Amino acid sequence: MATFSEKRDIKLALVVDDSVMQCKVLSVLLKEEGYRVFVANDGARGVAMYVKYKPDLVLMDINMPIMNGYVAARKIKSLSQDNSLCPLIFITSMDTDQAFIESIDAGGDGILVRPFSPAVFKAKIKSIQRISDLYGQVKTLQQEQQKDAELAEQLMSGVIEARNFSLDRIGIIKKPAELFSGDIQLTALAPNGDVNIMLGDFTGHGLRSSIGAIPLAETFRSMTKKGFSLFEIINQVNLQLYNLLPADLFLAAGFASISSHDKTLYAFNAGLPDAYLYSENGTIKYRILSSHPPIGVLPKLLPDSRLTLVSITETDRVILISDGIVEARNEQGEMFDFARFEDAAVEGVTSNNVCKSVLEAVEEFCQQTPQEDDISLIDIPCGGWENILTSSQTVENACDQSISDIQLDTEPAWNWQLSLSGKRLTSTNPIPMAMNQINEIEGHAEHWQSLYTILTELFVNALDHGVLGLTSELKNSAEGFSQYFEERELRLKNLEEGSVDLQIRLYPFHNGGRIIINIQDSGQGFDVKKYYKSRGNISDRGVLLSGRGIDLVEQLCDSLDFRKNGSAVEASYVWTL
Amino acid sequence: MSVKKRTSDDKKNIELIIDGKFDFSLHQHFRDSYVDCKEKNIKFILNLSQTTYMDSSALGMILLLKDHAESCDGKVVISKPNEAVSKILEIAQFHRLFDVES
Repeated sequence: MATFSEKRDIKLALVVDDSVMQCKVLSVLLKEEGYRVFVANDGARGVAMYVKYKPDLVLMDINMPIMNGYVAARKIKSLSQDNSLCPLIFITSMDTDQAFIESIDAGGDGILVRPFSPAVFKAKIKSIQRISDLYGQVKTLQQEQQKDAELAEQLMSGVIEARNFSLDRIGIIKKPAELFSGDIQLTALAPNGDVNIMLGDFTGHGLRSSIGAIPLAETFRSMTKKGFSLFEIINQVNLQLYNLLPADLFLAAGFASISSHDKTLYAFNAGLPDAYLYSENGTIKYRILSSHPPIGVLPKLLPDSRLTLVSITETDRVILISDGIVEARNEQGEMFDFARFEDAAVEGVTSNNVCKSVLEAVEEFCQQTPQEDDISLIDIPCGGWENILTSSQTVENACDQSISDIQLDTEPAWNWQLSLSGKRLTSTNPIPMAMNQINEIEGHAEHWQSLYTILTELFVNALDHGVLGLTSELKNSAEGFSQYFEERELRLKNLEEGSVDLQIRLYPFHNGGRIIINIQDSGQGFDVKKYYKSRGNISDRGVLLSGRGIDLVEQLCDSLDFRKNGSAVEASYVWTL
Repeated sequence: MSVKKRTSDDKKNIELIIDGKFDFSLHQHFRDSYVDCKEKNIKFILNLSQTTYMDSSALGMILLLKDHAESCDGKVVISKPNEAVSKILEIAQFHRLFDVES
């Protein structure tokens, strides 16, 4: 808002002096400098005229009847608006240190001792006006900046927090040290029902540190939605921030993907304090240590980078924190540190409110000490995500059996295929491409996530067991489970030959459609009969760590048929609208 | 809080000594201490033995020093961080980007 004094062209001066003669002299000089002048002959009238005219400059005598100059100056300064300085100069013939000190104490911006020449007076006025103009500029800039910052903050939280997934089940603490947080928390649901989360801490805090947040959030969400793996997302985010941000601005970040049907946590810590996997009773089952420099420092992730894989149960919780929590200080300068955090976290896990417990502990510890860094935390349960997935799967589960009898001798509406071989198999994930194709042609639909799961499971089967020749029996023990993934990585790295062919055909009908997926690999296949037989023998398949993939695919498919000794598979997926 | 600079007689080694808190307030001072050293093959030794605390903007400042050093075919070595500072360097996994001498 522009103030009155900023708008007007002519500057106003107020002269407060009980000597009529002095007032006249000063008025003449001020008029020569282009001021319009008002005069008051005592302090009280001076204050009243100040209120009425809001002048740009006040000249004040010290010894006056009714109210002296010091008292009047204090009143005027207390009345002056925040964003205008209204310089006040004492004019006096008392040439003492005491007068000088008291003038400044009373709020005066300068003192001029009589006698002075007109030239000295005018020079003093100019210098004080210069300071006043500067003050006004600073105030205006400050207000503009504040307004911009508030607007940007609104936009930012709209883009970031409002689009987070499942805020009712995922606990988030976000306590910025300034208006803008350099910390960012993202959650998103993958098409296969995995939940991806990220907690990031940009260097520094305030606006400068949050500029990377919007592109980061967009990439994280859109790649999760398209079904890219967590590792692919991290790679892309790293490249993006490396290109986007200056060298001294980067993102310490923790990533986690909770896979309900794998019963696995996939995690990556690049520069955050330890992340935790807590069991229901509050014991720390696993710490995910930082294993990589922060995101955006290097053009590519280090070659030995890999996700940490941990088996999880339904009742576990994953907690990510930023260093603002452990480095929060109290009045004595002590840090909150890990031990206090872990105590608060245990209490939070057992009482089922981690955010509340941790935040209260930090606040109680720090008391009134000003917060130096952004404080943030994400707390996510490992179980209960299947319900969210299956509720959107009921679409095709309810499908009419007769539909599957429709003859397939007609031409498909479209057909998409891709053959990948050798090194391309390690560098390319064909599933997002396939999903893209389906979304492009058929439009977006919630139930495509079932199709995504089918494609992913069958492709991974073909790659792991067919091309790479891994046996899933390895996965039947907890140690073997991680051994399996290590072996997989090793074989992928050395992969020179082998291929996987993928074909998708779509047959629409009046109220739905059918998609036939054919996947064939170059491997030896497996004993399909023995596989089905072994499955029948085990009454409780829930305890097995392998084979869940095929179970899941069978549930989602209308039919599933292994061919060519298991090296080829045809799946039919039917949906109705 | 200060940055001290020691140059070896052959001018091949430049030691930057950070005293006290290493954070954003040192930004300009830190940069000024090395930005004019443009000779080839300089080894910058970042002596953190007297550094009591380091924040993430200091990590950023070290990365800028690395960019500078590498642009003149030089290198950066981090020297003698105390326990608290080591912890911060470890979390940021800086030993994978720099030689850290204890």
